Amino acid sequence: MRGRLLQLAWRNLWRNPRRTFITMAAIAFGYVMLLFVACLMAGLRWQMIQNGTCLVMSQIQVHAPGYYPSRSIQKTLGGRQGTDIGAVLAAVTADRRVYAATPRVYGYGLLSAAHRSAGVELMGIVPDQEPKVTILNSQIAKGSYLTARMPKGVVIGDKLASTIGIGVGSEIVLLTQAADGSMGNDVYTVVGSFHSGLDAVDRGLVLMSLSSLQDLLHLAPTRIHEVGIKLNDIMAATTVAAALGLQLSKTLPVRVMAWPELAPELANYVQFNHGITFVLFFIFFLLAVIGVMNTMLMAVFERTRELGMLMALGMRPVQVIVLILTEAAGLAVASLVVGGALGVPILWYLQEHGLDLGGATGGVISLAGVVVGHLWYGRQDFPAYGQAALGLAATALVSALYPAWRAAHFRPTEAIRKV
Amino acid sequence: MTFIRRQKRSVATFLGLALLSLAPMSHAADDQQTRETVERVARLFSSTSSIATVKMQIINEDGQRDISMKIWSLGEKILVRITNPQDEAGTAILKEGSDIWYYLPKSNRTVKIPPSMAMNSWMGSDFTIDDLVKETFLTRDYSISTFFQGKRGGIEVDEYALTPKPQAAVVWGKIILQIRKADAVPTWQGFYDENGQLVRELTFSDYKVMSGRLIPTRLVMRTAEKAGAQTTIEYEDVAFDVPISEGTFSLPSPK
Repeated sequence: MRGRLLQLAWRNLWRNPRRTFITMAAIAFGYVMLLFVACLMAGLRWQMIQNGTCLVMSQIQVHAPGYYPSRSIQKTLGGRQGTDIGAVLAAVTADRRVYAATPRVYGYGLLSAAHRSAGVELMGIVPDQEPKVTILNSQIAKGSYLTARMPKGVVIGDKLASTIGIGVGSEIVLLTQAADGSMGNDVYTVVGSFHSGLDAVDRGLVLMSLSSLQDLLHLAPTRIHEVGIKLNDIMAATTVAAALGLQLSKTLPVRVMAWPELAPELANYVQFNHGITFVLFFIFFLLAVIGVMNTMLMAVFERTRELGMLMALGMRPVQVIVLILTEAAGLAVASLVVGGALGVPILWYLQEHGLDLGGATGGVISLAGVVVGHLWYGRQDFPAYGQAALGLAATALVSALYPAWRAAHFRPTEAIRKV
Repeated sequence: MTFIRRQKRSVATFLGLALLSLAPMSHAADDQQTRETVERVARLFSSTSSIATVKMQIINEDGQRDISMKIWSLGEKILVRITNPQDEAGTAILKEGSDIWYYLPKSNRTVKIPPSMAMNSWMGSDFTIDDLVKETFLTRDYSISTFFQGKRGGIEVDEYALTPKPQAAVVWGKIILQIRKADAVPTWQGFYDENGQLVRELTFSDYKVMSGRLIPTRLVMRTAEKAGAQTTIEYEDVAFDVPISEGTFSLPSPK
């Protein structure tokens, strides 16, 4: 009997190809739209996280307990004695999910040149390791990035440079309160300036070599504040952070934080983005429901006579419902296959070429404190594609339920008489 | 006239100065007697010029640090020169008008300190750069009222509450100044925020006659939120109203 029903449903679908195609077009179009939205939203999320974490912050940070967020310069990893930095880095990179890790030292100070000065954040990095974790080295506006050859070189934000009135080659004095309370100060040379597009960074960050900053702050070479980590998969950050925390604290008291904790505004944005995606999905589902319900209702009423005949021949109401639902399911599956096929080139294009939002201005868009390029790239979000497919199939079935229920309650004698 | 005013405003010496410079500029609003008492305390550290040798001991969670310095004041100019520890000797702070300059011997540079940094801790102590060099005119900026009269710790004292006048640009919500009744020397000063919470307190002791005045030579500052930490200032020597040449107040010019 079941085989018969399937056969009957299949034949019914092709009895009126135009009607079937219109319904399929509605579902397929809905599916393509959902794929489009999901791909772009995932792309935006990914780009936000990528750019937000890769500029300066990194995706996971290892600190001494109590260092974050007060950032007291005393609270170095391993306390006053410091720690074997090489061993910590080795322990971190032993995790296969870690792409790279780099040590860092931070301080605050006064940058002074000729007649002007400004309060700045000092970041000490290892010039040949940091670029594996962050991308500030690719944002150099003038001059060059730090090199190991110039230990007294600094790289500063371009806005800071213009505010203070200095450029590549200028000598500056950095004045800070060192770890022992004394006034750490020394003369440095500006070797380059960067333009990240993020105001706070361009206005207030000074990059220098790790050892120079340790000298300035009177910190021993074993004392660092942070290990910055880049992962192979950003989305795994929270899980990996927890694992690293467990692993490292066997030998060293640490607090390991992933980017959602380090940049709550970014995590909030991701939540917000999920929310928007959900709303958009909901709207498209609603459109699909109306489209499918309309065509299914029409289809059922058009076939009143035919269904009445079937019932007169002995088909039970339940079987009528099953028949119509089977038709709807078949329709949905076929539509999703078509929609998916149409979607593939679109998704590929979004991923490879992106949408150009304002290429004319060539400007950089900053969103929730993160710089996003004017090209909006898509990113494949297969779980969302699957959810969209299931959602649409369910929509088709649900919207077929009412017409099916109506059909099951036809009186065969009346139904047959209808033209 | 200018001369007289200048003499009256007379910059206090260094910290004594910064914390107790109740320059007698107030108007008749406050009770005459109260104001006179407070002004008398203010005059303890007031002079047209002064030279002081001071030791500062900073105790905080990172340990202890001792700094020796010499301080010159003339009119509105103040110069602080660090003499010890060796690696910081020669470091100087010059205050001229509202400008603050640092001379850093290690870098051989003179650096202007922006006003935004003036509230930062000075060398890890419980004092701010502002404390060091800013003149505050307590009787100009604050209304004074008697807060308490009687015995504290077995000693007869008067306590005065200083509340900021509406237009005064000051950081404290209230200051309590405690004065020993017998000889009108300050014993304690409390600094409160707008909510009436004690933020920091300054204790005076070791009264000695220096340059003809009985002054507290030991000042201990404690910050409420930093338990266990304190900064002590000891005046080893103070000379008031001594001749100092204007040329003393100069640093190598900034490059």
